[in-house]
Amino acid sequence: MPKPRPSPAAFFLLPALLLVAVFYIVPLVLSIYISFTPLENWNLHRYLGELTSYNYERLAYMILHDPDVGKVVRTTIVFVATTLAVNVLGGLALALSTFLMEERVSLPYRVLWMLPRMTPIAVYSLMWYYFFLGDKSGTLNSILLSLGVMDKPLSWGTDPGLLPYSAWVILVIVNGFVGVSFGMVVFYSALRSIPREHLIAARVDGASTWQLVRYVLVPQLRWHLVYVTVWQLLSLVTTYAHIFLLVEWGAVDKWWGSTWALYVFNTAFTTSDQGLAAAAATILVVIGAALGVVALRVLGFHRMMQEPRGDL
Amino acid sequence: MGLRLPGIRRGGGAGEERLVFSDVETVPRRRLTLVLGLAVGLATVPLVMLYLLLVLSSFADRMLSGPDIFSARYSLENWRLLFEGRLEPAAGQLYTARDLAVIVLNTLLVAAGVTVIVVLTSVMAGYAFSRMRFRGRRRLMEFIILLHAFPGVALIIAVYAIYVWSLGLVPREAVTGYRFLYTILARAALEIPMSIWLMKGFFDRIPWEVEWSAMIDGASRLRVWWQIVLPQVKPGIAALAIFAFLAGWEDLIYVHVFLYTGGIKTLATFIEEVVGNIETAYLPIAAAAGTLYLLPTIVFFVATQKLLLQAMGGGVKG
Repeated sequence: MPKPRPSPAAFFLLPALLLVAVFYIVPLVLSIYISFTPLENWNLHRYLGELTSYNYERLAYMILHDPDVGKVVRTTIVFVATTLAVNVLGGLALALSTFLMEERVSLPYRVLWMLPRMTPIAVYSLMWYYFFLGDKSGTLNSILLSLGVMDKPLSWGTDPGLLPYSAWVILVIVNGFVGVSFGMVVFYSALRSIPREHLIAARVDGASTWQLVRYVLVPQLRWHLVYVTVWQLLSLVTTYAHIFLLVEWGAVDKWWGSTWALYVFNTAFTTSDQGLAAAAATILVVIGAALGVVALRVLGFHRMMQEPRGDL
Repeated sequence: MGLRLPGIRRGGGAGEERLVFSDVETVPRRRLTLVLGLAVGLATVPLVMLYLLLVLSSFADRMLSGPDIFSARYSLENWRLLFEGRLEPAAGQLYTARDLAVIVLNTLLVAAGVTVIVVLTSVMAGYAFSRMRFRGRRRLMEFIILLHAFPGVALIIAVYAIYVWSLGLVPREAVTGYRFLYTILARAALEIPMSIWLMKGFFDRIPWEVEWSAMIDGASRLRVWWQIVLPQVKPGIAALAIFAFLAGWEDLIYVHVFLYTGGIKTLATFIEEVVGNIETAYLPIAAAAGTLYLLPTIVFFVATQKLLLQAMGGGVKG
């Protein structure tokens, strides 16, 4: 038997670890560092030398006293909680119904509900932008006008009379349509791997479809429910891409339509205050890391880390 | 008949199953299909409507909003204007000429680059995690999962700062190439954690006796990996490549931050810009651009949906 060469694992891991180091580890450290500098206008040479806790003081003050930042905080909380519920319960409902359907009806539905996830974000934003457009050519306005429900068009995302709820509803809808497919796929494939005998046994005992769902199917999805909930929670806290353009194009109110992650992005790239943005980002890092560690524990990912096979 | 129980295909059509169990109906049932089909269908209406309106509008003389689809005039005019790069007809004679081919090529370049980087790095790393024993393996795997949960937005500020700093070191004539390279690497890095896990799952599923015996016969680890293991995970690599390609193809944030600031346009930033000039925007052209942008992903997805759904669902084991 030939002697294995010194650590072949290092060779196989090197490219991935290199990218991880350059694009995760270094930026993480740098980002926290930047949050303690008064960086402005990306002028690294001028500002990176000074250290200050001014950004955090400002941020704390703004959260407490700046109504706009207060709106962002409230929007983030409502958005994460509501979209999470929609994603998990909607995904479960979709998975169960497509599972209980005949295949030739179920397959087109499953493909259809994956579409938003497969759609380029700019196109997806464009479709919703047009759907909620404020003049009479917007889809929602046009439908409601022709049904006679209203007599003049409404700017859904920005009308002061409808805020903040209309902006929140738009955010939840836009992200919900993307989010449910994750739960659907995970739950559906879990349902498919339940031994058919369990279903047959329940049917032989005279279980109705509802009882089948309630006492046989859903209990087997317990682990997957936890997994999807935790995973979606982590994603929702930090995603903003799908609403980035809607806010940029003015389809939703700038503050009631911004989540914390989008606020970080916009502070960094549309205003010049990168130090403040980095401080806001660091808060996200702390929350994300904490949630991540909890997720590892709760989900027991160690169960997926079987010992390697095929080692000599 | 009872003997045939274990042999029933799970994915089998309803008809087949009924033949086998004439007295025990499991799922699915016809009436249930009807009720659930209608319910899900109702929830799907907005989704279908959005896509239909987008595609129809790309052929119409104005943006279609629903009830009016029969009154519009349809032609290939928007597509012609798009391909000629004449995008703002509403602004009179002030056409801004833009080369669509370059925009599409830029988008393709980012997507292809991300695909190459993601496939290469995660196939290698996935193999190491699946087959090799080394110190800190478990910690490293946990760490990689954590990375996936990690807020990308928190990093992009520093990733951009590094970019600004490094741009000063790049010779002037190589700047455009460097912008692309940096965008591709940064975007690929976002996909790496999940991709490694996906590939590890695929490697875990193949028996290792063959590679083991090849190594006993004196083949090097690298050769075994290349000639024996890789051919067995081809479906996994295909799924991974499609995911990576779509990620690069659809990306908005990274191309916005790294390429758009340098005047390089992709389909995403192009749509962003066309709609952004709302006073002059002629939305049917944006709809045409959007449809063009959407087309490959839909074709890709419909052609490979079985593979992709499997890969997505298979990454999770309860």
